[in-house]
Amino acid sequence: MRIAAQDTVKARKARRPEAVILFTVSNQLFAIAADSVQEIRSTDSLGAALEIEQQEIPKVRHTIERGHRTYYVVNACAHFGLRIVRPALVLMLRQIRVAVLVDRIERMAEISGLGALPRAFIGTERQWYRGLAYLEDQVIPVVNPLGFLTSQEFIRLDGATAEASRRDLERAAVPL
Amino acid sequence: MSAPNIANAKSYVLVQIGDRRFALSAAEVSELAPPVRLHQFPHNSPLVSGIIVRRGRLVPVYDVCRLLTGKDSPSHQFYLVARRHFGSASEPAAIPVNGDSELVTADTVEVTSPKYVSGILIHGNESIEVLDLDTLVTAGSQEQIQLANRGLDA
Repeated sequence: MRIAAQDTVKARKARRPEAVILFTVSNQLFAIAADSVQEIRSTDSLGAALEIEQQEIPKVRHTIERGHRTYYVVNACAHFGLRIVRPALVLMLRQIRVAVLVDRIERMAEISGLGALPRAFIGTERQWYRGLAYLEDQVIPVVNPLGFLTSQEFIRLDGATAEASRRDLERAAVPL
Repeated sequence: MSAPNIANAKSYVLVQIGDRRFALSAAEVSELAPPVRLHQFPHNSPLVSGIIVRRGRLVPVYDVCRLLTGKDSPSHQFYLVARRHFGSASEPAAIPVNGDSELVTADTVEVTSPKYVSGILIHGNESIEVLDLDTLVTAGSQEQIQLANRGLDA
């Protein structure tokens, strides 16, 4: 055994670089693949967001209509179990009907490799993250866009929104 | 407790965790790392306090101090990096220790309790528990999960 001096991360063999967006949620830095984000908007522009009545998935309280699709708005603070702060931006994701509330965008960056999440991590973070990036002496979790809502949660939310729409139609119906 | 097995004398690394000394098999230990930066991010895995970067690898840190001594880890810790086994695979794992460590060759006496202690070695006038890292972090994780569940039930 030896006492080792602090060393730097060795350059790994060249891999195709990946563009990521670095963003913060409750002062915690995360990365997400740039090509998984369709649009970044201010929360001020979300006036048309609809509140949905459901208690089962507390991280989702609103929906946004975009291009004839209903996006579920996920509060990233609640998703990651962080202290709730007022979000300023929303990331509209590309692959799935999810919009994520975040604090701010730090910058774009390129990562040349993604480290696997060590097996020591056994909780829901295995769904939350694709892996870990090491960028400028910082370990940054790279979020998995598909990890914000499970297929079961989509089914429940779709059911809740369909029920809400049915009730709205009934209320709006004028008796003959 | 059975009789000492002198023929099976092995090398152990003695480390200080909190206010107690423990031993780990030297064959499982790769290095004693200085107090490098502990990287933290949201997760809900019991015992894992974060990640350190060593030789280009991401090494999870298990904070076992409270489990072993009943007290929180002091700050500015060194890290003992060893191997944790997952079936046929393994990965590096670190536990916070203070900087004082010693390499000794000793025989051990087998013990059966607690489960994470694989034996006891005698060094000078001191009896030192030999830790089984895999069992320790598994037992610690299960204990934390049970405590969390009790908290939810209460």
